[in-house]
Amino acid sequence: MATIASTFNPREIDNTDDIPGRRAPLITGNQTYGSVTDIVCRVAEEPQPMLWYILFGFSSLTAITFLGLIGFLILTGVGIWGNMNPVFWAWPIVNFVFWVGIGHAGTLISAILFLFRQNWRTSINRAAEAMTIFAVICAGIYPGIHVGRAWLAFWLLPYPSLNLWMWPQFRSPLLWDVFAVGTYASVSLVFWYMGMIPDLATYRDRSKSPLRRMVYGVLCLGWTGSARHWLRYEKAYTLLAALAAPLVLSVHTVVSFDFAVSQVAGWHTTIFPPYFVAGAIFSGFAMVVTLLVPLRAIYKLENLITLRHLDNMNKIILATGSLVGLAYATEFFMAWYSQNQYEGFTFMNRAFGPYWWAYWTMVTCNVISPQLFWFKKLRTSTFWMVVISIFVNIGMWFERFVITVTSLSRDFLPSSWGYFRPTLFDGLMFFGSFGVFLSLFLLFCRFLPTIAMSEVKGILSATAHSAHGHDAGHGHDH
Amino acid sequence: MSEHKPRKSPEKKMPKAFGWMAEYQDENNLLVAARKVRDAGYTKTDAFTPFPVHGIDEALGIKPTVLPFIVLSAGLTGLATALLMQWWMNGVDYKYIISGKPFGITPASIPVAFELTVLFSAFTAFLGMIALNNLPKFSNPVFTNPRFDRATNDRFFLYVEAKDKYYNRESVKELLSGTHPDSLDEVIEDTTPSELPRPIILAALLLVVAGLIPAMIILNMRAGFSTSPRFHVFFDMDFQPKKKAQQPTTIFADSRIMRPQVKGTIGRGQLDEQEPFYLGYDPAKMTAIDNKNLSVFVSTQAAKLPDTSAQTPADGSPQTAPMTTPPAMAPGTPALNLPWTEKLPIDANEETMALGKLKFETYCAACHGYAGFGDGLVHKRADSLAQGYWLRPTSMHIDRVRNQPVGQIFHTITKGQGKMASYAASLNPKERWAVVLYVKALQKSRNADIDDVPVDLRSKLDEVKK
Repeated sequence: MATIASTFNPREIDNTDDIPGRRAPLITGNQTYGSVTDIVCRVAEEPQPMLWYILFGFSSLTAITFLGLIGFLILTGVGIWGNMNPVFWAWPIVNFVFWVGIGHAGTLISAILFLFRQNWRTSINRAAEAMTIFAVICAGIYPGIHVGRAWLAFWLLPYPSLNLWMWPQFRSPLLWDVFAVGTYASVSLVFWYMGMIPDLATYRDRSKSPLRRMVYGVLCLGWTGSARHWLRYEKAYTLLAALAAPLVLSVHTVVSFDFAVSQVAGWHTTIFPPYFVAGAIFSGFAMVVTLLVPLRAIYKLENLITLRHLDNMNKIILATGSLVGLAYATEFFMAWYSQNQYEGFTFMNRAFGPYWWAYWTMVTCNVISPQLFWFKKLRTSTFWMVVISIFVNIGMWFERFVITVTSLSRDFLPSSWGYFRPTLFDGLMFFGSFGVFLSLFLLFCRFLPTIAMSEVKGILSATAHSAHGHDAGHGHDH
Repeated sequence: MSEHKPRKSPEKKMPKAFGWMAEYQDENNLLVAARKVRDAGYTKTDAFTPFPVHGIDEALGIKPTVLPFIVLSAGLTGLATALLMQWWMNGVDYKYIISGKPFGITPASIPVAFELTVLFSAFTAFLGMIALNNLPKFSNPVFTNPRFDRATNDRFFLYVEAKDKYYNRESVKELLSGTHPDSLDEVIEDTTPSELPRPIILAALLLVVAGLIPAMIILNMRAGFSTSPRFHVFFDMDFQPKKKAQQPTTIFADSRIMRPQVKGTIGRGQLDEQEPFYLGYDPAKMTAIDNKNLSVFVSTQAAKLPDTSAQTPADGSPQTAPMTTPPAMAPGTPALNLPWTEKLPIDANEETMALGKLKFETYCAACHGYAGFGDGLVHKRADSLAQGYWLRPTSMHIDRVRNQPVGQIFHTITKGQGKMASYAASLNPKERWAVVLYVKALQKSRNADIDDVPVDLRSKLDEVKK
């Protein structure tokens, strides 16, 4: 069986150049079907590196602290946060939008890139989808605990209540949010799980211990790889992709409605849906890059997650980052062009008011830093792409902070203006969500297939027979 | 994974054969072999591959799936569910106005309708795929061969089932051998014991029993009766640490949870009530009155009413009352000394008189009687029941009442007196003044002489007499 990857230094191969007329390979190292299986299964079969234990110890402690803080919050009340008149939507909503935004990359890669037949998605979609689900879990925590009486959060659902005799208010964007985020989370989970079924069967068939064999056997539902099963599987996958593609775009659209349907200056604008979606893809891809670069180094996946994949993602970061920059400029233009004094004031206040530092941090991180990806040297340097992607995520957090807090702290009534100050709990409970996120991601790496083996093999098969010409595009074509 | 679905008697030694399985290294060899098998007329065939192989459907003659149509109908169901749900919940069953937004299906229904369409379709796509594939299925004869483990790794298998109507063990073997497989094995029945291990069965039984407990508790509660209060998982605001009206408290020295109005303050909406039209007296003239009266006035306003309210039972006819007159009912009561309005602030015309008559007969006559003698139906009934303990409502024709200025009568209607409650909630100020006018007319009618009648109408009076 092939052991090519372990002795191979990926930094020597650059597959990011396209010679005209011939496509550079998507995966490197002369892989065979067996070697792809070996590289991916090794991640879960071999003992985890020391670094995994260090990271998991740290992240699980953080996650437990976070859960403890949630318990303290529920017992004490939301007063432990800095939320105070007039800024009642502060860090919890900022963190919610931040995490939901990050959760856009996974399903976008799986669904939209699938529909566009972007074969390079196959190496990264699994990890990105997992990241999506964990980010949406982190996002879902905040509205749940922000409602004050967290044990009654189920009141958001339209269920026939015996005590209340009432139904939710379907004309409110906050309820649309419940449906949008709930649908997105569950559909992403189904998409992720369904994509994993064939790979879980591979894990099952390679298992040495009966327990492992049984657990993976149950998880993969007894998958055999039958041609009839594949036929329906591919059809279902295409349908899910077609359904998930508009769903991805709808989620952040609805999240932006939370703001845009209100009348607060700086929120009440029609640019919000596309602007939020672009920002979400931007931050999601940045998070995927942040996670995949260490992942491929630690588990020696450089032959499957190649520089070309990272390069492509950086290009998307560059494109969406420019879109976000354009949106910022458009907002300012509209504030001036509309001649609405409240709009005008709000935007001057954003850039030069008491929160100028947040605004310019946002602009530096979101507009200026991704422009560095015009340079191929930076786009293909793992060090610089991680640095820039972290900057992007800092910037995207500040974007949500700027939108939420600057508009609320200075709205129509100058007598009720204020300045938001976070408390220690705000900071700890934001930091703690990273513990939940990282713990889940590390567990995913350890127990589940991090790369969609069957899809990579399909691409491998298609490339091997590229003599067939145009119809050799993708294993999923029919 | 190793258990087997159909149970077999233990004496049967010869395992059953399910068909032939050929293994290939390359998907192209598989496709060539599959076409050969298809052309030979076999239909109960299958291929097992680590990834979906291009063209295998055609090579094996697999028909397209109906899944898309199932998903379409699920999507339409989701859409209809969402629209009906929103229309019924917010437009029919629990209808309330919010920001003036219209009821029923509006553009605001689109996001939820879209999300539910996607939700229903996506779950149907996934569950439909699982169901059409007959999954989960943990026991499968093809798992008996350890070589088959590579079907999910790097090998391609072609399978001809024994169920095929043209199946012949030898000829199928020969056909498959001709396709140059890497190996060719007969798929045989799984001979490992099919029973689940005892601990797993026990654990499953325990789980089932434990799962029944909540259902039994709920059934018991539904069927039985209990006098103890409802069990609250969440308190749902059923118990609130707050005080209700009329409850005592330890917070304030006077133990009352309802706080009187602070002295010298005017409540919201009470400012216009500082005018004689609303009071029946002129507060501007209050300064002219001595401090003692002022304090009585303030306490009246503050609803304390220690003196004035206690006096009023005696306003009923003292001669019929068996009870002693309360001590506060002394002549020259402070309340009588307020600067009463002497002149009716509304026009005394026919229209006002009619209004006053209407309101008097609606609200006052029940006790005071239609003519104001204090002999209304309530009085008659109460007098017959209470046998002497009932205080007769005040007659309007006794001197004390007859001499009251209009403002004082107005004040009595507004604030109430004795048993009589305030009629401020039932009658607006104008109506109260109209009632005052009617009362004054009643009093006049019962104490008039011929000089009060205009000369030109006196002849008419004679006609009435006749």
